[in-house]
Amino acid sequence: MSHPPTVQSPRTGKSALRRFVDAAEPWFYSAPVLVLILAVMLVPLILGLSYAFRDIQLLNPFSGGFVGLKHLQALSQDQAFYRALRNTLWWTGASVFLQFLFGLILALLLDKPFAGRGIAQALVFLPWAVPTFLAGLNWAWLFNPVIGPLPHWMAALGILSAPDNILADPHLAMWGPIIANVWWGIPFFAITLLAALQAIPRDLYEAAEIDGAGPLQRFVSITLPFLAPTIAITILLRTVWIANFADLIIVMTNGGPADRTQIVASYIFTQAFRRLDFGYASAIALVLLVLLLAYSMVIVIIRQRLIEKD
Amino acid sequence: MASIALSRVGKSFGTVSVLNEVDLAIEDGEFIVLVGPSGCGKSTLLRMIAGLEEITTGTLTIDGERVNERRPKDRDIAMVFQSYALYPHMSVADNMSYSLRLRRRSKEIIAQAVSAASAKLGLDPYLERRPKALSGGQRQRVAMGRAIVRKPKAFLFDEPLSNLDARLREQMRAEIKRMHGELGATSVYVTHDQIEAMTLASRIVAMNAGAVQQIGAPLDLYDRPANLFVAGFIGSPGMNFLEGRCEQGADTSAVVLPKGFRLPLPLRIPAADGEKVTLGIRPEHVTVDAQQGEIEAAVELVEPTGLGVILHLLVHGEPFKLFSTDRALIRSGARLRIGLPRERLHLFDQAGNRMAAL
Repeated sequence: MSHPPTVQSPRTGKSALRRFVDAAEPWFYSAPVLVLILAVMLVPLILGLSYAFRDIQLLNPFSGGFVGLKHLQALSQDQAFYRALRNTLWWTGASVFLQFLFGLILALLLDKPFAGRGIAQALVFLPWAVPTFLAGLNWAWLFNPVIGPLPHWMAALGILSAPDNILADPHLAMWGPIIANVWWGIPFFAITLLAALQAIPRDLYEAAEIDGAGPLQRFVSITLPFLAPTIAITILLRTVWIANFADLIIVMTNGGPADRTQIVASYIFTQAFRRLDFGYASAIALVLLVLLLAYSMVIVIIRQRLIEKD
Repeated sequence: MASIALSRVGKSFGTVSVLNEVDLAIEDGEFIVLVGPSGCGKSTLLRMIAGLEEITTGTLTIDGERVNERRPKDRDIAMVFQSYALYPHMSVADNMSYSLRLRRRSKEIIAQAVSAASAKLGLDPYLERRPKALSGGQRQRVAMGRAIVRKPKAFLFDEPLSNLDARLREQMRAEIKRMHGELGATSVYVTHDQIEAMTLASRIVAMNAGAVQQIGAPLDLYDRPANLFVAGFIGSPGMNFLEGRCEQGADTSAVVLPKGFRLPLPLRIPAADGEKVTLGIRPEHVTVDAQQGEIEAAVELVEPTGLGVILHLLVHGEPFKLFSTDRALIRSGARLRIGLPRERLHLFDQAGNRMAAL
């Protein structure tokens, strides 16, 4: 065993330079990572936020000046924005709820042993592997009475009075992207909930069965409490995700008919890439960011409270 | 409380039989211990009684009623699991009262039952705690409390002490025994630990490879093991076996060991001349005698246990154990002369079954 020679530093009379080097040393070690984080995350974020206070229109070469809160003032008067906000609530709520519900049912089914379970589990994951753009096109075609079977089936079942395209119906159009989104998003819930389900010790179910609990009581008093943390975190994630998720709407309805399926995220897309008004789009994005941050904070606080109560 | 009867109860998965037909009548208030090595089918048998495992063949009756097809909750039995299987999100009191709450008993009855059980188990200070804030021994008590509260027809224990350290296991073992004395509840207890089996059981069911080997009182199994498996499994350190051939004389027999050593027996054994037999003797019954000892042995290893010493010997090149409370024997590498008291010998035939008693 050999020991490295130890450097004896005099305890007294540290020079100012020495003290600075001592204090700065950890920062130098972490500098590469800090610089990377700043460059990759913060700079684009701040630049993007700054657009919200500038007049940036791609087709106007004289734009680019600082306009202060003008965009936000315009936004507060923008009825299309408020409608998009309401649509976002509707779109996010319905999508997350249905994805969760079907995901949970699927996870419970896949948790029971049966022949071919391995293949079934792999197949369930399939929609997740389909690019959202393709999924949107596919569902748009399925809802199209000229080439898709769905309107005819729905008419035959009496759900629709005639085999029309629901994507063209202002009252029903939102259901198109929601259904596509539910189809696409079920695997996420199914797989994460299945993983959580499989972590529940079997003994507990057996003990409860002997204690006299029926299937429903076992679900309520064992399965749900064990799943609760996973449910909370997946719903939080998916809510933020879906509120921001405009792909399916852009592909399937492009916000129409008559802005009936315009959500905030697709409204931002429309403002930025169709009207080419980046400044206004950034202002909307800023508002959406603040709303989602507030939502996340509320959820995090509630979760913290629950953990402390435990 | 109730009696449990198993009649030709067996279990198989497809064509693979994991449990041969078992016949067992458990009387009201008996403490039955199913003991055997891992994979012998003892836990499967217990789970079949509980209703957690389907019964492939035979009949299971509790209090004379056939319960093969009844669901676990309708059999009115309680079970204590090796992992305790406590509900982690419920307090100790809620864990214990869960079954009563499911049965919609009144609040007063539940509170009374829980406080009676918790007083008996010394759990009063922990009633509001969650299981994760308890030690292993306390969790074990809660698991037992959960069973007691219900006043079931029978208690089933699935290796309940295996996760505890040696000291605590000893303590809980005594507590289970005391509790059985107080409640007089019919109990079926699964363990791989023969000490637990010996100390707790009114009757032991020794099992191996999916078949019952012997059923009897603990000392019966110790004194008169039915076959080589039971002889080797019960007792610690395990019984010594010496293989030899039977030599029949006019009135008495002798066993000739491989190296030509002849061991005369005081009576005639029911074996053909030249038939292979196995001699068994427990380490604690082997004597050391410098003058009279018949067999010479070399001491290979000495294990002091405090109470005495376990000597690992070589007898004619075969490993052989001796237990003695005489500490002076502690000398590794020494040579000894040992004696095999005839009345302590066990004789097994070619198939490994017990022959006539000596």
